[in-house]
Amino acid sequence: MCGIACYLTKINGDRAPVGNKVLHMLNALSLRGPDSAGVALYGPRSKHLLLQVKLVDTLGEAESNNLQELADHITNVVGKTADIAEVSRTAEYLRLKVSFGGDPKTLERHIESADKEVEVLSMGYSLEITKQVGSPVNLDSTYHLDDFCGSHGIGHTRLSTESSIDLSHSQPFWSHGNPDLAIAHNGHITNYRNLRCKYEQNGFHFYTQNDSEIIGVYIGEKLSMGMTLAEAMHASLRDFDGSFSYLAATEDSVGFAKDPFGFKPLLMTETDGFVAIATEELAIRAAFKGNYNVHEAPAGEVQAWQL
Amino acid sequence: MATIDCFDKTVRDVNTKLRDFVSGGKNDIHIINPESLHNLAVAITKAANITIDGSVGYYCAGMIDGPTIRINGSAGWGLAESMLSGTVRVNGSAGNGAAAAIRDGTVIIEADAAARLGVSMKGGLVLVGGNCGYMAGFMGQKGTLIVCGDVGAGFADSMYETVCFVGGEIAELGTDAIIEKPTEDEYSYLSRTLTLHLPTKMEAPGFAIDRFKKVISGRKLWNFDNQDWETWREAM
Repeated sequence: MCGIACYLTKINGDRAPVGNKVLHMLNALSLRGPDSAGVALYGPRSKHLLLQVKLVDTLGEAESNNLQELADHITNVVGKTADIAEVSRTAEYLRLKVSFGGDPKTLERHIESADKEVEVLSMGYSLEITKQVGSPVNLDSTYHLDDFCGSHGIGHTRLSTESSIDLSHSQPFWSHGNPDLAIAHNGHITNYRNLRCKYEQNGFHFYTQNDSEIIGVYIGEKLSMGMTLAEAMHASLRDFDGSFSYLAATEDSVGFAKDPFGFKPLLMTETDGFVAIATEELAIRAAFKGNYNVHEAPAGEVQAWQL
Repeated sequence: MATIDCFDKTVRDVNTKLRDFVSGGKNDIHIINPESLHNLAVAITKAANITIDGSVGYYCAGMIDGPTIRINGSAGWGLAESMLSGTVRVNGSAGNGAAAAIRDGTVIIEADAAARLGVSMKGGLVLVGGNCGYMAGFMGQKGTLIVCGDVGAGFADSMYETVCFVGGEIAELGTDAIIEKPTEDEYSYLSRTLTLHLPTKMEAPGFAIDRFKKVISGRKLWNFDNQDWETWREAM
């Protein structure tokens, strides 16, 4: 019973209060699952590649000094192939801004070779993913996302039903190897094992045991074949079995897909100024005052917005 | 008029207060600032006029017996689920499973209803001014389901004796559902019902009562017959 939320501005370019709105919606959804919470926020496009690197799965006090050493080591590794414009560390995250002209997958591999728990959680020119174990109410107090401005964002609050509760299994998921592509999912992809097997045979590496990870891999593959986000999501309705409502976002588009049986709720509103989507209407009402209509997205529906 | 402000109250507080008002004989109750809270006005078992000013969350007006509840907004999943009697009117749209398993009473959704509208209804009237989603009327046992607009796929699947009327297009009939032309009596029933509950629909340009189709069970699934094996296989 996870909760997902999405906000996109239609009038404020990349200066909308994306952090504030997505956090508000997530807080309202927190009762749907307090196991982990996260946001994928899209700010103004940077000429640098932004990386959020997870240093460890769980942060213990004793590890704090070692983490700085690990962070320095990763920074050195990255510095050998890219120009580093900015480095900072908050809790278990290392955040890097780099100029890098090569294949993002190579950069990711270099970073992740530093330690077995090290993982690049997001990479992109406008995307930044921040997530943590626990309820969404703690997210802002740790990472101060409330004043994040941008064009759109998606969020997730999780009730774990199958796989582990740790940072790697928290959502939104970045689609590894695909800068700026992120997804958030509520439901179960029941043919996940078969799909995963197929992708693994083709050389894809999976980071978690979470069925939702397949969505990012799938959409990433379809986008790389030249499909638009909407086309990729439409295709997923044919290829995914199970119950799902999911959100997917790229640097300049965002959309939702709902399974053909309509097993999972998804409420949405679209006004002249914004689009808001959430698992429960109360999340939309909590974040946006005023008069507007909210309706349930139909079963088997895909809708995507191009910025 | 009695008013309950949901601001800063839990659902339990709101429902307790509402129940106190109803059992205290208050007949006209307004609930304000609902902000899409779940489970509002459930299990109210006495007659009363309850107006909710704003959208409601899941399972609003479930298991009621007698009250008239008006929602000035939209409703989430499971609106009026398992109601016994009374009237529920939403002037916006409703989420999945509206009017599921109702035994009697009237549910009016002025805009659209999502998937699984009126599934397993055992009586009563469900009336939708707009369109409805997938699988409406599934396993309906009795009662009447009227949708003025279009209906989604799997419509009226595996029904018993619910009678459905559709003013728009049917995306796809469910298993064992058949279309019939309504009788003159049924057209006149539709006119009376729409005039009573959705008069603006009747006055809308282009509205024509003779566009309505009647959908009922073909009764092939009522008793097992080897010759109907294909129908059964499809239904399963």
